Amino acid sequence: MSRLHDILRRAALHELHRRRGQLPDLAGPELEDVAQQCADDALVSILARLDDFKGLSRFTTWAYKFAIFEVSSKLARHAWQRHPPSREELELSELPDRLTPRPGEELERREQLTALRHAIESDLTPRQREVFVATALNDVPIDVLALELDTNRNAIYKNLFDARRRLRQSLAAAGHPVTEEKEAGT
Amino acid sequence: MTDLKALDELLRAEDGDAGCDAGTPIMDQYVEIELRGGDPGEQFPGTVIHLRVCPGCRADHDGVLEATRRFSEIDLE
Repeated sequence: MSRLHDILRRAALHELHRRRGQLPDLAGPELEDVAQQCADDALVSILARLDDFKGLSRFTTWAYKFAIFEVSSKLARHAWQRHPPSREELELSELPDRLTPRPGEELERREQLTALRHAIESDLTPRQREVFVATALNDVPIDVLALELDTNRNAIYKNLFDARRRLRQSLAAAGHPVTEEKEAGT
Repeated sequence: MTDLKALDELLRAEDGDAGCDAGTPIMDQYVEIELRGGDPGEQFPGTVIHLRVCPGCRADHDGVLEATRRFSEIDLE
């Protein structure tokens, strides 16, 4: 048992280092503490789910999965506690620079983006709009937003997926399809 | 990236996307197929699509893959 805990802690610490860009102020003894917590919680999850292990992968691969999920969860919680999304990140203001038409850009492009903005404001549900604006436009991490909205990653992703589908449909209906190839289904 | 490509990325929602929850129970099998040089798309096509689009699940996948690759010499069995 202690050997399993040790490899979980090593995997968690390695993963925390791999993701250190997400939370640069987490370092030193605090990072070691988080790795220890991840290993503790992963071990509890593994022991509770031993009956789920069917031997479809090596046991260690199956076990690492729990350590990595704990790292993901704990990093998101740290990020949310230290830098929760601001009101501005959840509400539509300006479209990101990467989308904003440049001076002299063709009229059709500018109209397409005007249609996009209108569709975001008019065609999405309030939750779809909040999720799309935060994650797609303002780069709020999906797990941080899930904590802010007291839900989970899968529910946020479903909102985002539906919002994207709806916006593509709206743009196509307004005569500004994004790419016909994508709409054909790949 | 051109602006049109940026917009296409922004609105990416592919048919067949399995979603986040579908990948959780099979992530260990998925990475082992990759490490053996196989194609996880044959068994888990919806998760292949999902991992192209969802940064949270992609980060988890990359972490499990990295841990398995790096620590694979450790075997408790």
